[in-house]
Amino acid sequence: MSEKNPTAYELLFGPAHPGSGNFSVRLKVEGEEVTSARADPGYLHRGFEKLMEYRNRMQNSILSDRVCVFEALNWNLIHAQAVDELTGEDIPEKARYIRVLMAELSRIQSHLIWYGATSMGLGFDTGFKVAFGYRDYILDIFELVTGGRVYPAGYICPGGVRRDLPDSAKDKIRGVLGKTREMLRKCESFEKTTLQYRTKGVGILDRGDALRLGATGPIARASGVSSDVRSDDPYEIYPELDFEIPVRDEGDAYARCIVGRQEIRESIKIVEQVLERMPEGKLDPIKPKLANKIPEGEVYVRNEIARGEAGIYMKSIGEESPYRCKIRGPSLLHMIPVLEHLLKGAQIADVPAIYWSLNICPADMDR
Amino acid sequence: MNEMDLIDGLELEFGVNAEKQRDRRVWLTVEGGALMDVLRYLFDKGLEHLSAISVTDYPGDGVYELTYHLWSYADNFLVTVKTKTSRDKPAIESATPIWGESAQIHERELHELFGVTFKGNMDLTPLFLEEWDGPPPFRKDFDWRKYVNEKYYNKENEREKPYSI
Amino acid sequence: MTGKAKKLRKLIKSIWVFNWFNSCGFTELVPVVGSRWDMERFGMIVTGTPRHADVLFIAGYQTPKSLKRAKRIFEQMAEPKVIVALGACTMTGGMYWDSYNTIKKLEDYLPVNIYVPGCPPRPEAVFEACEKIFEHVLEMKDE
Repeated sequence: MSEKNPTAYELLFGPAHPGSGNFSVRLKVEGEEVTSARADPGYLHRGFEKLMEYRNRMQNSILSDRVCVFEALNWNLIHAQAVDELTGEDIPEKARYIRVLMAELSRIQSHLIWYGATSMGLGFDTGFKVAFGYRDYILDIFELVTGGRVYPAGYICPGGVRRDLPDSAKDKIRGVLGKTREMLRKCESFEKTTLQYRTKGVGILDRGDALRLGATGPIARASGVSSDVRSDDPYEIYPELDFEIPVRDEGDAYARCIVGRQEIRESIKIVEQVLERMPEGKLDPIKPKLANKIPEGEVYVRNEIARGEAGIYMKSIGEESPYRCKIRGPSLLHMIPVLEHLLKGAQIADVPAIYWSLNICPADMDR
Repeated sequence: MNEMDLIDGLELEFGVNAEKQRDRRVWLTVEGGALMDVLRYLFDKGLEHLSAISVTDYPGDGVYELTYHLWSYADNFLVTVKTKTSRDKPAIESATPIWGESAQIHERELHELFGVTFKGNMDLTPLFLEEWDGPPPFRKDFDWRKYVNEKYYNKENEREKPYSI
Repeated sequence: MTGKAKKLRKLIKSIWVFNWFNSCGFTELVPVVGSRWDMERFGMIVTGTPRHADVLFIAGYQTPKSLKRAKRIFEQMAEPKVIVALGACTMTGGMYWDSYNTIKKLEDYLPVNIYVPGCPPRPEAVFEACEKIFEHVLEMKDE
């Protein structure tokens, strides 16, 4: 007869917990230590990939920003790239620069959410309020250029961008970059004290595990894997820009926060280069095409979004809607293999810190 | 090693015809029996990162086409391997002995959404759907608009009549 | 006006909120708590448990899996309670009207008091809805 351990029980870290998002994890606990974890996704499953088979390419460009709400413009961009590669159209040079500008601003805004939500999960309210306060300046820019604070209504569409930047946009963007630098200085002062004590040594992911479990993006870069799709498999105008890739070795939650902050700095550098080099001249708005069929073929496009590596496999047989559009998001890999591996042996009180430091988007995981 | 070396190597070893679509993209098609050997050969050549596995449904031909997208961190290019399996009782060998958990999670999702059985995968429990007893949802013969119309819309209701197709 | 309603009018100065949001709602409800549109100056705070809350914000599309949890949370709240449904997806199904796994009309499953349109609704719209809640609760208690 086996002895029943009186301190062993099962704990549901569920969707209504104030420290979690739209997902749940079943933890088997002994005392204060987690012995095993099982993730339970599916609260947000809409069947995105088949919804795209019912719509034509311009309708899909509006639907594509809703794959993950925190980085709507990046998903817009990867969908537009997939269709552009199938049609083989020539994109005007200025449109390419505007695409990269909006994608990098969206990356900065997403990292600020990461920062704010991690602070909220750690019980550090100042960081939460500061990060979300500074993020609103970037949302004002989005409203000026695209019309929507959160969802840009398919601004980056197959064929370029929907309309040109307004005249006052460049100066306002430079002002916003100044404010973001102010925010980064505050982040550095937080890191020396509160953040460090609560995240150092928590949730260590080493290099071999990161490669085996399929981690990509800032999570992998904080564990020593130095790869970034923008420099390994470049797209748009990234080959002409000059930026670095921050990499760290420790692999704990603190290293991930540092990598996130350094990436904001690199994105600011990229935006400044884009503003300097952008060609002059007016861009015509996109005209909706009547003969809308996508030529036959299949492509696989990769992009670096704020959370990791995104991919779209699109296959077309000559109709207006794609025949199959498979969306590969980074969060499916981060949520199930990586999180279950990291939670083994952790304390219950560290579970929110580990979860938020992985920067998971539940919508991108379930699609 | 660049793309052309890999293409020559594959031709020598397995007799498959791979083609280079553009810079950094190689596509090839293999038979079901040779799939595991080709995947293991590619893994040993440095293609350590499994980016995605996907299934496309061709009801006219009666096949499911699987695509494996592999990326090499060392040499910076992507190889896509395509293979076909029958649509009636789709079964294929699992890639988990080679890529571990990252292949396991992709196969678990495809098992739920398309009904493909991966032999050798330890964990094929449902991932997203709770208490779903219909057909695999992403097959081409499951029409969503008809299903939604019958299940959710009420034809007696004035407000919902225009949505009935 | 009865004596009981008079007492309740004095008590209703601030409402406590329980957030149940799917992804799209998260991104516009969090700035409502943040420093630009501060909701604490109106006396509203976010609680961690449904037993302390007066108002349930349901934002975004629901799937059958998450609707089951939302129902359990609603049942645990104490009277008087109000549901505010945010977003176009709760009204008609929104963008995902032809998806097999989303709920099309929230009022078929839960008694909704206020709908706030938008995709997602702006924080100013959320505040206007909260102002209407005050009026609604006062009406409810006059019965």
